[in-house]
Amino acid sequence: MDINYQFLIKTFYLVLTAVPTTLNITAVSLLIAMPLAFYLAVVRMRPGKYIRPLISAYITFVRGTPIFLQILIIYSILPSFLNSTAKYFALEVNVFDWNPIIYAYIVFSLNTTALLCEVFRSALGSINKGQLEAALCAGMTTAQAYRHIIIPQALVVAMPNICNLTVKLIKGTSLAFLMTVKDMTAVAKIAASYGYNYIEAYMDVFVGYIIVCSVVQVLFDFAEKHVGKFRLIKQK
Amino acid sequence: MRPFNPQFMLDVIPNLLPFLWVTLTVVLGTVFFGSLLGFVLAQAKLSQKPRYRWLVDGYIYIIRCTPSIVLLFIVFYGLPKFCLEVFDTDINRYDKIFFVIVTFTLLFSAPISEVMRSAYEATDHGQYEAAVSIGLTPWQAFYHIVLPQATVVALPNFGNSVIELMKEGALAYTIGLIDLIGKGQLIISQNYGAYALETYLSLSFIYLLLTLGVEKSFLCLEHALSRQKKVV
Repeated sequence: MDINYQFLIKTFYLVLTAVPTTLNITAVSLLIAMPLAFYLAVVRMRPGKYIRPLISAYITFVRGTPIFLQILIIYSILPSFLNSTAKYFALEVNVFDWNPIIYAYIVFSLNTTALLCEVFRSALGSINKGQLEAALCAGMTTAQAYRHIIIPQALVVAMPNICNLTVKLIKGTSLAFLMTVKDMTAVAKIAASYGYNYIEAYMDVFVGYIIVCSVVQVLFDFAEKHVGKFRLIKQK
Repeated sequence: MRPFNPQFMLDVIPNLLPFLWVTLTVVLGTVFFGSLLGFVLAQAKLSQKPRYRWLVDGYIYIIRCTPSIVLLFIVFYGLPKFCLEVFDTDINRYDKIFFVIVTFTLLFSAPISEVMRSAYEATDHGQYEAAVSIGLTPWQAFYHIVLPQATVVALPNFGNSVIELMKEGALAYTIGLIDLIGKGQLIISQNYGAYALETYLSLSFIYLLLTLGVEKSFLCLEHALSRQKKVV
């Protein structure tokens, strides 16, 4: 097999320069999604007539359709929608000049919110209701009880799932090229298209993703140990 | 902004539906071959030799970190070259569905091997020993005693993996396979890029029905298979 090693090495460095973009999309999406998802999870656990079915429908839609389609739907509706809104309010902005990474943030946040909501809901469900009641009895407000009692315990349960979700999200950002964002996959694709060196380019991306995902998983391992530190009885 | 046309969403569905079979063929083919490969991997993981376990662990780790689109392109561009070099056979002209099924078999086998292994470990080993002690051969004991119980345990996770696979399968169009999404893109370009949103919404509606259908049928299957199960 004739592999162009020079191209392989050169493109690998090129792909590495795009790693920040991938991590950027992942981190921003997670940061936006986390408070939203937590709020939705709490709302979904409370009794309510109108909001709960809406949240359920949203989660079903996100979980039931390919992220590929979600990207295409948002990317075909949002720019023109924002543009007409801007025109309606007579704002002097050109929406089409914006960096497409904004749309990537929006798509991946919406997607992650739904998936994280399920993670948080199952984690909150694993905490005994007595914990909240005891905290309220001791004179804490509900917010304090969540902040000091419920969340630290729920986070330990949720951590492995959050790690899985983050790895999935990183893999999902490889589709950001559909929105003309120059992430790892897009950079390699462009480099390959000059000389039809697709195999070498995709090998580089393959290795790049394995490195990024490994680092993230190691970090999550540390985080998991850190949030589980208060446990007196170590599991396993 | 062009007004949204709900009527088009309905009109486009009859044009899309004939290509549902391509999508389903990809899913069914992948589930079949992926389960076979997953079975082999699960057996290797359960074997006594640590070197097989390391190999399978490494494979699962790498697949977990690989985006499907990257693997799809590596297989699509790499496999023909590899086959030409090693086996001296030209597979460049093979149908694209072949490459799609190969890719998704590789992707699907990793999680499915874990599902199978955990289901096998969830069934009590005493069941196997009891079966062997009354004179069944190891294969009979596995086939008649362990497998039916392990199947019930594995079904929910198996169903989730199939749904996951079906959603990932939407990427097959990127190498030029004309499945549901591929046909949708063709319709959009026939309309010079108009009606993109309507077509995508119809597609996601079809996918939603598919995933809900798969979920429901796996639930029914689970009920049917766990009827004999008695909790002591």
